Amino acid sequence: MQKILPKKELKSFIERLMKKHKVIAPVKESPTKFRELENSEDIKNLSLREITVLSPKQFFIPENEVLLEFKNGKVIDVRKNPEDKEKNRIIFGVRKCDINALLVLDKVMKDPLYISKRKKTIIIGLHCEAPDKYCFCNSMISEEGSEKGYDLFFYLHKDNYYISIGSKKGLSLVSGLQSVKGKDEVIKKIKNFRALNDKGIERSYRNKIWESDADKCLSCSACTVDCPTCNCFDIRDELDANLKTGRRVRSFSSCQLRSFSRVAGGKIFRESRLARFKHFVYHKVVYYKKHFGRYMCTGCGRCLRVCPTKIDWVNTINLLNEIKDADNKGRMKK
Amino acid sequence: MPYTPRPYKITGIKNLADDVKVFRIRCSMNPSPGRFMQVSIPGVGECPLTSCSYDPKYVDLLVRKAGNVTSALFRLKKGDRVFIRGPYGKGFPLNKIQKKKLILVAGGTGIAPVTSLIGYIEKNRREFGSVDIYFGFKDEGHILLKDKIRGWRKKFNIVVCLNKRVKDKKCEEGFVHEIMGKHWKNKDNKDTLAFLCGPEIMMDCVTKELNSFGMGNNKIYWSLERRMECAMGNCGRCLIQDLYVCKDGPVFRYDLIKPKIENEKASNEDYKGR
Ligand SMILES: Cc1cc2nc3c(=O)[nH]c(=O)nc-3n(C[C@H](O)[C@H](O)[C@H](O)COP(=O)(O)OP(=O)(O)OC[C@H]3O[C@@H](n4cnc5c(N)ncnc54)[C@H](O)[C@@H]3O)c2cc1C
Ligand code: FES
Repeated sequence: MQKILPKKELKSFIERLMKKHKVIAPVKESPTKFRELENSEDIKNLSLREITVLSPKQFFIPENEVLLEFKNGKVIDVRKNPEDKEKNRIIFGVRKCDINALLVLDKVMKDPLYISKRKKTIIIGLHCEAPDKYCFCNSMISEEGSEKGYDLFFYLHKDNYYISIGSKKGLSLVSGLQSVKGKDEVIKKIKNFRALNDKGIERSYRNKIWESDADKCLSCSACTVDCPTCNCFDIRDELDANLKTGRRVRSFSSCQLRSFSRVAGGKIFRESRLARFKHFVYHKVVYYKKHFGRYMCTGCGRCLRVCPTKIDWVNTINLLNEIKDADNKGRMKK
Repeated sequence: MPYTPRPYKITGIKNLADDVKVFRIRCSMNPSPGRFMQVSIPGVGECPLTSCSYDPKYVDLLVRKAGNVTSALFRLKKGDRVFIRGPYGKGFPLNKIQKKKLILVAGGTGIAPVTSLIGYIEKNRREFGSVDIYFGFKDEGHILLKDKIRGWRKKFNIVVCLNKRVKDKKCEEGFVHEIMGKHWKNKDNKDTLAFLCGPEIMMDCVTKELNSFGMGNNKIYWSLERRMECAMGNCGRCLIQDLYVCKDGPVFRYDLIKPKIENEKASNEDYKGR
């Protein structure tokens, strides 16, 4: 069963949601990003067509997050902090790739701060109508359909949104809308203009082909900042000027920085940008999968889009596999 | 909240060398040998440390002054508190060592986890065959845990190797891997396991030496050090390719971790651009 919402009623639908919830959605700003909608002006400025520069990751893992506080040498658990009682939230307009990114993060981020944010957030997905030349999401879906990851999912078709329902919470938001069943339902597939052809790159770790990508890499870490599944962090202490109060903070870090693998004494384990660059690619395509059975990369293309030197590691993997295929054919002929 | 540490009292401090102290902490955690804890001082930070004891009433932390947190620890006095969360990781495979002959090799502060393992062996001595211990230190001034070593001489075959000139007749001059060979009496290394902890270059040389005795890499275990933040597989800092040192280690069977360490090393060494 799906529900139908006429396209022109989207604004009033969101306004209704805003009465009881904090609603977060992509807004036309530079750069386009998810933020809380404050008024109906914001709803007019929704940016629903193009992919946002940043994913909604920051609403689950903020750039800086307090893990605990200190006061006079005592440690205070932040969960006991009353400010933590935020309103339930809805994130509207999340694309398939970014929904999958949350499912990826769920397997790694096991702490109550993350989990409670996930629990109090309703995800309303939106079918992606404008994939660009960087998107390759269809290549990265390992078990389509087994885990939905959304509460509601919107498909725009002609003058209506056709809404798939992923949870009871989702259903309660659209219970007043008209239903459609069976062949009147609309489910769309995303178009992709490129694919990642992965036939196993684990044994190609030492292939020289990676050096041409690493040669271009500036270690700027923009790829990891924009990536919806990069979650690596630092933990550091801040002490206030009174030297009595302070906090322990978790902040985003990046495997592209040399300091990422530095230990006391100065040893840096991934010292070359080749080692760091490959760590990013292999974590996304190989390492995570070994632990959790699915790709860490969701094919959103943000790392390719943002890269200042236009490194295209997806193309590199495809090349690797072409070479492998050619080699195999050659061997068979012999 | 898994990041919340608990306060523990320091009940004693011993200076072992200019830059090494042992802190005795009253606590009933008794981590299995080779596991580690995140030790912290509010306002300064956290760092991973291994217990060098094996006792249900206290934990001894053998700490080398290396940076911010360890320096702040050095300023603490008996009676002060430290904060600890853990223990974390997989330690030495105690279920696999019964009835085995053991070779224990450690360098510098790497003796911490090995000392905890020796504590376990002492309490369960009958379960083991011969125990050969090799410790390597820079020079006489850097020999750690002298009292303990004296006691162990009565129970185990123990060799202390110093890199510099040696006056003490009980110590030998040279690197551990150079000296091991001539002490290798039981050439038969059937049912023998080796546990190594120290600088990777040392573990590398010792491993090659053990290989030359005919010991396979699947009989050799390395205890590794990597950058850590969360200690529970969330922050990604300690990854060696796909293995988490904090969660899958820090003790690894060498044949399982070797290709991964070598891959990362090769990416540093074979590549000119930095
Ligand atoms: C599993 C494990 C067990 C260890 N056991 C011992 C031990 O028993 N005794 C001992 O003296 N040392 C041990 N170390 C090394 C010890 O953790 C570092 O010397 C210590 O983290 C340095 O912290 P710092 O704040 O003084 O140094 P800084 O250079 O100021 O480091 C800042 C922060 O970086 C991180 N960091 C720096 N070096 C390391 C490192 N080597 N490993 C992990 N994180 C690091 C820590 O979060 C640290 O607080 C161990 C390391 C690991 C990984
Ligand atoms: S220390 Fe954070 S993942 Fe290992």
